[in-house]
Amino acid sequence: MTKELERILPLVQKPARYTGGEYRAVVKDKSEVTFRVAFCFPDTYEIGMSNLGMRILYGVMNAIPEVWCERVFAPWGDMEEQLRAHGIPLYGLESGDPIAGFDLIAFSVGYEMSYTNILNMLDLAGVPVRREDRGEDSPLVVAGGTCCYDPEPISDFIDVFSLGEGEEVTVEMIRLCQRAKAEGWSRARLLGALGQVPGLYVPSLVEVTYNDDGTLRALTPKHGVKLPVLKRIVSDLNASYFPTQTIVPSTEIVHDRVMLEVFRGCIRGCRFCQAGYAYRPVRAKDPQLLVEQGIAACKDSGYQEMTLSSLSTSDYRPLERLCDGLLDYCAPRDIGLSLPSLRADNFSMGLMRRLQATRKSGLTFAPEAGTQRLRDAINKNVTEEDLKQSCRVAFSGGWSSVKLYFMLGLPTETDEDVLGIADLAKKVLAWGREFGADQRRGIRVTVSTACFVPKPHTAFQWEAQVDRAEYMRRVTLLREHMRDRNITYNWHDPDTSFLEAVFARGDRRLGAVIQEAWRRGAKFDAWSEYFDMARWMETFADLGVDPRFYANRERGRDEVFPWEVTSVGVSRDFFARERERAYQAVITPDCRRQCSGCGANQFCPGGVCDA
Amino acid sequence: MPKDRLRFAKEGRARYISHLDLMRTFQRAFVRADLPIKHTEGFNPHPFISIALPLSLGFSSQCELLEFGLLPGVEREEVPARLNAALPEGVRVLECYPGQRPIRELAWLDYAISLDLPRGGAALEAAWREALGRESWVVEKPSKKAKSGAVSLDIPKMVKSFTFTDDPEGTRTLRIVLAAQNPGLNPSVLVNALTAEFPDLLPDGVRYRRLEVLDSEGKVFR
Repeated sequence: MTKELERILPLVQKPARYTGGEYRAVVKDKSEVTFRVAFCFPDTYEIGMSNLGMRILYGVMNAIPEVWCERVFAPWGDMEEQLRAHGIPLYGLESGDPIAGFDLIAFSVGYEMSYTNILNMLDLAGVPVRREDRGEDSPLVVAGGTCCYDPEPISDFIDVFSLGEGEEVTVEMIRLCQRAKAEGWSRARLLGALGQVPGLYVPSLVEVTYNDDGTLRALTPKHGVKLPVLKRIVSDLNASYFPTQTIVPSTEIVHDRVMLEVFRGCIRGCRFCQAGYAYRPVRAKDPQLLVEQGIAACKDSGYQEMTLSSLSTSDYRPLERLCDGLLDYCAPRDIGLSLPSLRADNFSMGLMRRLQATRKSGLTFAPEAGTQRLRDAINKNVTEEDLKQSCRVAFSGGWSSVKLYFMLGLPTETDEDVLGIADLAKKVLAWGREFGADQRRGIRVTVSTACFVPKPHTAFQWEAQVDRAEYMRRVTLLREHMRDRNITYNWHDPDTSFLEAVFARGDRRLGAVIQEAWRRGAKFDAWSEYFDMARWMETFADLGVDPRFYANRERGRDEVFPWEVTSVGVSRDFFARERERAYQAVITPDCRRQCSGCGANQFCPGGVCDA
Repeated sequence: MPKDRLRFAKEGRARYISHLDLMRTFQRAFVRADLPIKHTEGFNPHPFISIALPLSLGFSSQCELLEFGLLPGVEREEVPARLNAALPEGVRVLECYPGQRPIRELAWLDYAISLDLPRGGAALEAAWREALGRESWVVEKPSKKAKSGAVSLDIPKMVKSFTFTDDPEGTRTLRIVLAAQNPGLNPSVLVNALTAEFPDLLPDGVRYRRLEVLDSEGKVFR
């Protein structure tokens, strides 16, 4: 550690975030390493270290002997101030070396509101933020993560995007970069070669043209690139790397526990949910392997808590068997087991007893919409009877508080649907009083609403987001009809949802806005300490870009979408069919009941998913 | 309560692990090392670990003491090596032994305060020597506990002894033995008082290291 760093660390909050040196952090001998990677997460250490994908790819890259992958997180404002004041460039946590001298700078991008942090981190590193300004010696800047399914808003800043699951393609990319380095290729030649690798999207190799009305005319690939670039997946999760020996932070992080990934994908097909489509097809892990990996991870980390991780965890067929296997180890050692993602339609008594064996936390269900009609329209196949059954199980089992998540502004939503949320909340409260195990304890129901953000690669990718005034009108309507002191109502800030909607389906013209907002001081936009809506709106106005064009406009049926440079493997025709069914409030059965022909079976050997 | 004691060093990057985080780190390290230890009793039992005299963030030390209770089945001699394999960089267990004397008998702490003085340190040394040698020198220290928001410390009474050494490369080290507890004098409070008293004599950088824990007679405490 340098003396300069030693002098500033006592001046900042939580300095352990900036030192590295944690248990299981990978430190390699520089003389034996020929390729250096800075793996960046555009948010704080506490958030980034809680990301399972980061941990997986860190392990994958460091498994290559001559490659050294280090972590970099966004420094909080006090640290940034000190780094800039003392001229200390952004460094890798493992070595403390400036990352501008590394071969590869890779960002994990999971949230639109972290875009400005990407620019800020590049700038702190001393790397030009725009890709066209980078020279032959600049590190290659790559990005992966769910935001990259519409890479266009940040394509001015990123040389290469990696689409989908990174376990395999990351290694292929590094191999190619190593070869380019050894053979002295030009940057252009390397980018051309990377553009041929399945799963990699190189924005400089695609030209975008526009119509007079501002919509896209065409996405034209150059140099033999094929569009769309199809995401990559790992076919066999059982054979794939899983980090049982992983870094244990020396300071508290958000998810400070063992994360055990049970399966990828989701059988459900909720029409609003990008993850549900983007992670297809479903691939489950073997329960016996999971038990072994879970126990190994507990032993190696010393964590006293484990969580199962996946979309809709209760859809894992051998879930009870898996829980039993893990609890055999966890219960006698006081290790808590939690399942964060349960559905209201299959939360069983058996499962509840297993969870009770350890610690009891609150229960959260996400009906998403207040009426059956709207739940059918979004294909959230949960009925009121399902919810009642789950509440009965929960309340009679001793839980006394339930959280309910909803979205406002879903396509086809009417005031009747909004008021349906109030009705449902009151019913849950009544069920709590009816089934509650301890009648002396009060029942608490917490209702949360967020403003619906239409996402690319979903059935609702054509839809307009309701504007702020309309969202707030619905919030007020709901609040006025849900005044009960045992019901708490929280609603999310619509400003953030608006910007999410702009960037989630944006095009390349937003790059200038992001850069200018960052130049004016935008960073950590996901944090209320830093977020400034007025600055964003002024920037849009000054650059003559109308954000409503992106957020609040319904797209034409055949409009060219900027995100169609990428594909998650699900066809546009399928999304269009699903949108039609939404308008008819017709449900689509889950993948286990019936294949709906979404297209994701192209990833499966023999063309059949193992849903 | 538990009778086992560790002496450990905290150095390098580990200097920035806070007291609370260090407790958590040790709790997990005991699990990783498969060393079963005694738990607290009561409704929510957790592994009993107590670290004497929390070290300020950024200080290094070679004499931190941790109390715990080893459950039967493990020899104390095995503990340092097994824990060291399970601890983060910079935290190193030096010995494990049965604790005999109560921590309250720990009276003095021996510190090395390294001062970066690239332009020479003779004037600073002379001034600081004078202040430390006064009969009485009362400074106010902000305190959350005191009603007035500050406590008065008579610094010379909390200094047992000190020496200066002139090291190469523009560094001088103040070796000083300070009161450990009830009340103790944190060396950074001392340095702040000295730099406030002599504002034109400022070191470029200051590093603190705890060298030894002593009893009221100035003998090594274990």
